[in-house]
Amino acid sequence: MMDFGTPVLEPGSANGTKQVPQFNPYQDNGGTVASIAGDDYVIVAADTRFTLGYSIPTRKISRVLKINDKVMLGTAGMQADTCALHKVISTRMRMYEHDNNKRMTFNAVSQMLSTVLYYKRFFPYYTFNIVAGLDDKGEGWVCGYDAIGSFEQRKIVCNGAGTKLMQPVFDNQVDWAQSWDGAGKPNLSLEQATDLMKDAFTSAAEREITVGDTLQIYKITKDGIQLEEFELKKD
Amino acid sequence: MSGDGCVAIASDTRLGQQYQTIAMDVPRMFKMHDRLFLGLTGLYTDTQTLYNLFKFKLSMYKMREGREISPETFANLVSSTLYEKRFGPYFTEPIVVGLDKDNKPYLCGMDLLGALACEPDFVTLGTSTEMLLGACETFYRENMNEDQLFEVVSQTLMMATDRDCLSGWGGVVHIISKEGITTKTIKTRQD
Amino acid sequence: MNIDLSEALDTKYGRSGLSCEVGPDAVELGEEHVLTIPNVPRPDKFLSDSFKGQEAEVLKFAHGTTTLAFVFKHGIIAAVDSRASMGVYIGSGTVKKIIEINPFLLGTMAGGAADCSFWERDLGRQCRLFELRNKERISVAAASKLLVNSVSRFRGMGLSMGTMIMGWDKTGPALFYVDNDGTRLKGNLFSVGSGSTFAMGVLDIGYKYDLSVEEACELGRRSIYHATHRDGASGGIINIYHVGEDGWTKISSEDSAQKHYQYKAESTEQASAPMVTS
Repeated sequence: MMDFGTPVLEPGSANGTKQVPQFNPYQDNGGTVASIAGDDYVIVAADTRFTLGYSIPTRKISRVLKINDKVMLGTAGMQADTCALHKVISTRMRMYEHDNNKRMTFNAVSQMLSTVLYYKRFFPYYTFNIVAGLDDKGEGWVCGYDAIGSFEQRKIVCNGAGTKLMQPVFDNQVDWAQSWDGAGKPNLSLEQATDLMKDAFTSAAEREITVGDTLQIYKITKDGIQLEEFELKKD
Repeated sequence: MSGDGCVAIASDTRLGQQYQTIAMDVPRMFKMHDRLFLGLTGLYTDTQTLYNLFKFKLSMYKMREGREISPETFANLVSSTLYEKRFGPYFTEPIVVGLDKDNKPYLCGMDLLGALACEPDFVTLGTSTEMLLGACETFYRENMNEDQLFEVVSQTLMMATDRDCLSGWGGVVHIISKEGITTKTIKTRQD
Repeated sequence: MNIDLSEALDTKYGRSGLSCEVGPDAVELGEEHVLTIPNVPRPDKFLSDSFKGQEAEVLKFAHGTTTLAFVFKHGIIAAVDSRASMGVYIGSGTVKKIIEINPFLLGTMAGGAADCSFWERDLGRQCRLFELRNKERISVAAASKLLVNSVSRFRGMGLSMGTMIMGWDKTGPALFYVDNDGTRLKGNLFSVGSGSTFAMGVLDIGYKYDLSVEEACELGRRSIYHATHRDGASGGIINIYHVGEDGWTKISSEDSAQKHYQYKAESTEQASAPMVTS
């Protein structure tokens, strides 16, 4: 699917004789990642469908990288860039551990990812990331990123192809955004958050063709990380 | 969105030019008769033109036939009227919503050329289509009564427009049932 | 594969396999890092060519914005909204658009969110280095100049940043406007972003040099509120900061939706009250 396009004239070439082939290094492999953070947990969910245009080369890829027992990284967008980025982050994480003789905290990881993404400001990783983890006090947090490293720390983030379909539901159910006084705002338990995540992805899979197959839900608590798999639409 | 023997249509009330908000009291829904509504998103001048055109066409229909038009017939009328302008279309996407003679909900969306898309559950159009779609997909249940339907429709409208720069500034919900039409306005964010 | 690893490991030389130098001293950030530049004939056109027509959706997290700041008798007021839009979709409604560079310096954010937050964080680093080297705080004029120097290296490369740098130094309160073209203006009143015309209209009517702090805060809040109301790309939370002799303080953080109904209630109260002529 690499697109070499039509040759174009190089600007400034004397009489337009020199031709340069155009090459587009980007492709969209779809996928959605989402995360809900609570008082003592955070869950990271990602679908496993890998798309290329209208075809599905594989139904089983992981978009999630475990940084350590308390922090995970989820990435949607272009798969090649995802792999490259995960490799860079893993390496930087290991170097940090050797240099400082301690594990990277959630805040350290979130700031590092922002910088790594921005260093490629003019040739970005075509990826949409979330970093989810527990902070020093054990409270769950999640950061959402754009492709060039702008990020915000929140309680609920969703990123990638299904964002527009899922985010309004999370606003309503988690942030209670349509309530004027916030009265009755629920403090979601881990089970409720997991159920909500399944509902949101099931809905998104109905309408977004790049979302589907299997939903991987990683649950991060003080006891470590647990993986639950949930089946989505396969068509 | 359809319910049990009732059907709801809702829209926001913003009229804007690009990012500039011009008016905040302009719902895009029009009552065609007691059991039929037409929603017209998009370019407002075409919305007005089409509304007047259909009002005229329905008066003619009623006079000739001596009865009100059925939702399905009306949807086809809208569709063919739009297709007449195939190469210089009206820039508006309509929704036809109503109850047929058996009090069964009928809902149908269209693109600007008149391609019909009839759904049994819900139809969404306009700038917040995707957000509405995700919300409706999650909260829609079959055979809701009027109150449940109002709650779901108003909440989904609000959560979608709250994520859209170009929609919001108030909302109106009409619920059509065999008893008549209930209209409610909803208090929303004003930014 | 060596592209990825060199980038991760070889930070001392700081150049990935695909980067090339811009200008005589490469594009250095601090001691060892550089920004990667795509190795194509026109690196400045690279992104717009790759994402024809959908740049806004893909890359520009925050575009629509209303920010304002003005100098008055008791210092400086900065007021901003909190909406980040990607096309017409609202990416976030709770962005912090006032960046706390250090206890005496604030920067506002308009344009690309990543560009603003990265370069203002980098500015914080440079200001700290200045303090350590010179044993005194940097002036606002010098700080804003550092920021201009940083972004000027990338002129024409597509950075998007319209910011106001403000603070209190030896000369008193100072306010500068800095943008990605390399513009740097000293002034008493600026408003930046898509909603700035709306805000400026309200601001100009109410502005006087000898406002009290409370009056000035309310003026800033009103101006931003009216911009959020009429501009589709502005909205969310209204944040107000005050810069005084002892550095900045955060004054308030209020939801513009609730402000709307509060202002509306107040204005109907006034309308129903008997008119008093003096």
